[in-house]
Amino acid sequence: MLTFVDEILLLMLDDEKGSFLPIRESTMGYVLAGAVLMDLAFANRIDTDPNQLMVLDKTPIGHSPHDRILENITSSDETKDTKAWIETISREAGEIREQSLTSLVDTGILESQEEKFLWVFRARRYPTIDGRAEREVKLRITGVLLSDETPDPKDVAIICLADACNILRDVFSDREINRIRPRIDQIRKLDLIGREVSGAIQEIEQAIMAAMTHAHH
Amino acid sequence: MMNIGEEKADSVVIVAIEGRVDGLTAPELENRISEIVDRGDAQVLLDCAGMTYVSSAGLRIFLTGARKCQQNGGNLMICSLQPDCKSVIETSGFHTVIDCHDTREAALAAAS
Repeated sequence: MLTFVDEILLLMLDDEKGSFLPIRESTMGYVLAGAVLMDLAFANRIDTDPNQLMVLDKTPIGHSPHDRILENITSSDETKDTKAWIETISREAGEIREQSLTSLVDTGILESQEEKFLWVFRARRYPTIDGRAEREVKLRITGVLLSDETPDPKDVAIICLADACNILRDVFSDREINRIRPRIDQIRKLDLIGREVSGAIQEIEQAIMAAMTHAHH
Repeated sequence: MMNIGEEKADSVVIVAIEGRVDGLTAPELENRISEIVDRGDAQVLLDCAGMTYVSSAGLRIFLTGARKCQQNGGNLMICSLQPDCKSVIETSGFHTVIDCHDTREAALAAAS
C-alpha cells in the first residue's frame, strides 16, 4: 500500500519526462514532512491538536524514514506543535524523497534512468511505467472536489498536500481550478497537519515576496 | 477517558459523548457509529455537551462517521459543543461539512 509520501511524489512527477514539476525546494520539504506526519497519524502512531503533537504508539510502521522520525519525536524532550515538527522534518526531505522513489521503483511503478547533460552533469529521472496508482489518486481527488459528498479523511489529506504545492493544476485546468476553488478551500482546512503545511509554505512565500520587494526598492 | 451513552428519539440515534475524543478513544467512537449505521440507523446525532477535548484523530472519526451515515442514506449531526471544542470545529471548517446545532432540541427539530 502506498504511503502519502509515495502518493504526493507520484503527483509531483511529470509522468513522461520523469522529472519533478517546478516546485520550490522549501515547499517540497514542508509537503514531504507533512506527508510523513500524515502517514504516522493515519497509522495511529501520533495525534495532534492546535497546540501539540503527541505520540500514541511508538511501534514502527515498517517504512524507514517514518520509523526514524517517529523515534526522534518519541525521544524528544521537548513538546512541540505540528508546525515545529514540520520544520524539523523538512530538513530530511531529500532522504524521505529518495527512499520513497526507491520503493516506487522496486514496486514497478516508476523506472529509474540516469541521464547526462552538458556531457558532465548527471541527473536522475523517474518515468512512470505503471500509471494505475497515480490515476487512482487523481480519481480520488477529482471525486471529492467535483462533488459535495462528505470526503474520506485520506482524500482530504492528499488534497491538502497537492494544493499546498500547487500541483492540482496538473489534475485540473485553470478554469476548473477557479470554479472548484471554494471546494478546495473547504477541504484543505479539514486536516490539521495539512493546514500547518500550507501555513508554513505561505509564511516562506510571504518572506520571499517581502525580500524581493525590499530589494526592488 | 471517554464514555458513550446511546438513546433513540424517533428515527435519530443520539450518541452522548463524555470526556476526551482523541487518538486513544476515537476508535471506540468509530466502532460505535459503525455499529449503529450497520444495524440500519443512519440518522445519528453526536451530543457533545460532555465532550471536553477533541484532537485531529477525533475530528477524523467525525468525518468518517458523517461519510458512513451519508452513504447509507442518513446524516450525522453534532450538537451542544463546549466553547473550546466548538472553536476547534469552526477553525477546521468541520461545521461546513457536518451539521452543527447549539442544542439537542435544535438538532432533533432539524432532523424531523
